[in-house]
Amino acid sequence: MNCARRLARITIRGFAPYATVTARESAKCLNPYGSGVQTLRAFHAGFGHLKDQSVSRGDGHPRHEGSLVTHDSLFEQAAVEARTKAMFNRVLEVFVRKDIRRRGHVEFIYAALRKMPEFGVERDITVYNKLLDVFPKEVFVPRNFIQRMFNHYPRQQECAVQLLEQMENYGILPNVETKVLLVQIFGEKSHPMRKYQRLMYWFPKFKHTNPYPVPQDLPQDPLDLARLSLTRVAADPDACVTVYQMPSTDVSETIVADVSLPYVVGIQSPEQRSLLAKHNASRPVFVEGPFPLWLRKTCVYYYVLRADPVPPEEKVQEPVDPERSFFYPLELDLDLERDLGDDDSFDVDEVEEGPIFAMCMASRGDQATLAKWIAGLQQTNPVLGRAPTLFRLESVSREIQRAGESEPGAEPGLEEEPPHRQAMKQ
Amino acid sequence: MSLNRLVLFSKSVRCKNLLTPLIGQFRSVTTIQSQRSFRTYARNLVYAKDLFLGKVNKAEVFPYPEIDKEELEEIKQFVGPVEKFFNEDVDSKRIDHEAKIPSETLNGLKELGLFGMQVPEEYGGLGLSNTMYARLGEIISLDGSIAVTLAAHQAIGLKGILIAGNEQQKAKYLPKLAAGQHVAAFCLTEPGSGSDAASIQTRATLTEDGKHFLINGSKIWISNGGLADIFTVFARTEVVDKDGQKKNKITAFIVEREFGGVTNGAPEDKLGIRGSNTCEVVFDNTKVPIENVIGEVGGGFKVAMNILNSGRFSMGGACAGMIKKLIELTSEYAGTRKQFNKSLSEFGMIQEKFATMALNAFVMESMAYLTAGMMDRPGMPDCSVEAAMVKVFSSEGAWICVSEALQVLGGLGYVKNYPFERFLRDCRILLIFEGTNEILRMYIALTGMQYAGKILTGKIKEMKKGNVGVVLQMLGKKVRESVSSTVDLGLTGNDGVVHPSLADSAKKFEENVYYFGTTVESLLYRYGKTIVDEQLVLKRVADVLINLYAMTAVLSRASRSISIGLRNHDHEVLLANTFCSDAYFKNNFLMAQLQKNAPENNDDSMKKIAKEVLEKRAYICSHPLERTF
Repeated sequence: MNCARRLARITIRGFAPYATVTARESAKCLNPYGSGVQTLRAFHAGFGHLKDQSVSRGDGHPRHEGSLVTHDSLFEQAAVEARTKAMFNRVLEVFVRKDIRRRGHVEFIYAALRKMPEFGVERDITVYNKLLDVFPKEVFVPRNFIQRMFNHYPRQQECAVQLLEQMENYGILPNVETKVLLVQIFGEKSHPMRKYQRLMYWFPKFKHTNPYPVPQDLPQDPLDLARLSLTRVAADPDACVTVYQMPSTDVSETIVADVSLPYVVGIQSPEQRSLLAKHNASRPVFVEGPFPLWLRKTCVYYYVLRADPVPPEEKVQEPVDPERSFFYPLELDLDLERDLGDDDSFDVDEVEEGPIFAMCMASRGDQATLAKWIAGLQQTNPVLGRAPTLFRLESVSREIQRAGESEPGAEPGLEEEPPHRQAMKQ
Repeated sequence: MSLNRLVLFSKSVRCKNLLTPLIGQFRSVTTIQSQRSFRTYARNLVYAKDLFLGKVNKAEVFPYPEIDKEELEEIKQFVGPVEKFFNEDVDSKRIDHEAKIPSETLNGLKELGLFGMQVPEEYGGLGLSNTMYARLGEIISLDGSIAVTLAAHQAIGLKGILIAGNEQQKAKYLPKLAAGQHVAAFCLTEPGSGSDAASIQTRATLTEDGKHFLINGSKIWISNGGLADIFTVFARTEVVDKDGQKKNKITAFIVEREFGGVTNGAPEDKLGIRGSNTCEVVFDNTKVPIENVIGEVGGGFKVAMNILNSGRFSMGGACAGMIKKLIELTSEYAGTRKQFNKSLSEFGMIQEKFATMALNAFVMESMAYLTAGMMDRPGMPDCSVEAAMVKVFSSEGAWICVSEALQVLGGLGYVKNYPFERFLRDCRILLIFEGTNEILRMYIALTGMQYAGKILTGKIKEMKKGNVGVVLQMLGKKVRESVSSTVDLGLTGNDGVVHPSLADSAKKFEENVYYFGTTVESLLYRYGKTIVDEQLVLKRVADVLINLYAMTAVLSRASRSISIGLRNHDHEVLLANTFCSDAYFKNNFLMAQLQKNAPENNDDSMKKIAKEVLEKRAYICSHPLERTF
């Protein structure tokens, strides 16, 4: 009927690969009309699929040309107005309402998937479900064993798999609605359904594999971000964060950047403090950095205060004071060592590193700023007043910087470069 | 029969040996006590330590120590009035509620002489032996607050003067302390220092004239801190040692409140023993004359150790006294309360609780008086390991028993109208003070390991070197053991010391001791001196040793009872046999856990669990209702 007419029209256009698909699409429009027709059509569809596959392997993506343009432009028109979720949803609604047969929905979905990050909805499960909802229901569900055996409506299945894959890449876990939709569209044992099941098997398992999870939304305030980063680097619940200098900007001056005070935030644990107290004041301590720390797509830099490892001749093993414990001996006066068979320690070549006494983050990495940190530390660690402090500051490679900044969601201003850094390779 | 006679004979021999010269000179019992400082020969008692070598030094613990008739009469004279006083004049409920011991009660205690029980008669005390002290402790423990107040006064507070003070100090302070005119307190613990002497911050500095020390610092959790007039204070002093280096060492001082600069904080509000006064004591430039140093300057550590080690044995008697009282109170309830037309006492699970209580009381009592008897022997024997074992066993037993008694009573035990909840609160402290049980387990195990290690080092080194002779000797011994299958350490049989009705238990004990010896040897072989770091191993070693010592005590006591025909000795034999077989299986399990790669041993997993929890400082499992999708 209608379908045959359209087929003829498309063939005239000479767009063969696309023709099969559209033919199949028109076939599904007929599905509700009767089982007799259905079997016939299904067989036809199966044939179409084979042809389609061979073609799609041949030239990959460019086959979407033509009709894609219109779908992309739909989104681009919307983007002119506003790039929001509501707008994205409206585009979907417009498409669904435009044509009851949802002609070209596969292309539309591909286009939508590509446009999702632009609209900021790439992590929104409801949008994905809405996008799945664009597929017509029940027509792609195989009805007999032959259909089930062969790849039934491969382009549609592939498209749905692509959609699930994008969800996977963004770490979005499908929900029950997704499952219901997939069952309605492709049936229980389709490829998208398998993909869904695999996602549901592996995703929950991997959800908490990171023992040090980074919050999804990093704090906006650079001070809070510095606190978060420093506690993360220190990994010691006893360590306490101190703000040595609050950021402030003197607005009355004309050149704002020169008079703004950079923030200086440091962290030190009691253990580090006692290590520092034991530090031999005749040996220098070093302020080193900046070292990068990646928090999702943001890169921040921190500085450490460290010293060289204690030379072996200075290491004195303090003998255990026999008058130390009131209740039990702290060591036995025996000439017996641990048996080899019970020595569970591994034989590892260990390279000893110097102790790290404190860490800090500052919005400016010049020596003057970091000296404020050392001055602040000196109040609780008097040894710093006696030991020479050397600043060994390097410049950060711009590549890393850019990577951090160009990503959406990166903290602007945080990675602002200290003035004296030269362009140096990493 | 022959064994009976033998036991009696050996006992009489011992009594003659030990007491004859003394009785010859002094008639009364108390003079024997004061004569305890008359050191004829320094005997080193090593019963518990010998067990580490798989040896039973039976002469030390068999027969069960006893006091002679005059002493018994005298103690009975003491016990009567004290018991009467505690039953009639002590209102424990009020003491607990008001968190204060009323002054008339304190006066009553002073009149009875209970403030100077172990102070020699020449200084106005009662001059009681350790055995008699333990006996009175049984009664005093009926009120936890009073027991702790008295213990803080004389078991630790004035003990420093008693054991390490010079004649002038004794003459100056002991009479008033013994009479209760002055109350003593022991000031060791500080905010930053529990058992670690290195973190003691209180300082004593010599004044310029060299005649006084100025003490500065604060001490926390001082029992009697608010009442005391005399304090035994431990502070750091600068001492020049042999190589001319200045060192900070601990010194013990007698500090009078009158010296000035002594203030105390408000009494702590505690869970139990609420009537005892516990508070912070602050010394601010307290001027102490140099004569008030106990022992020598810089010798405070030993003084503190000796005081702490000497006081522990009495807890056995105290706990036993409390449990005996509890049994009386709860059995009355169990006999009268009816459910389903049966009295509670007919239910198996209730009966089991009473059996547990009786067993525990019996074992504690046996251990306490065995230890006290050993300590009363001439020559100031070192029984600190034994005393620590008594403390650990009895404090834990008491906690279990009070809990069981409460369970028998059900809801009644939980309300404040009845004394049971107070007993429960009071006895919780027993596991904590005078050295926590964990620390004492370390002490028990390490002391023994040190002793055994000294003796076994040579042999183990030979074995490690692969000396064929030693290894063959070991193998031969093993083969012989496996063939003969029973271990005989001489407790039973021809020259045995255990009554035949306890022979099975004695065999079990011997087997345990033998395998304990081999276990210790293999532990030393495996860990050497690094065993100090294997706390879970040491805990098991200590537990086995405590069980062994408890078995010794009950075997010895029951043998004596049956031999001299004490009333209800058959019950004692039953208790002893039950306890021994129970302890035997526990020991076997513990020693199986101590073997290398034992499947029973979960230590590594336990350590790992703890590590993961402590890393996060929280329970880290997800909530069971959590979901990931």
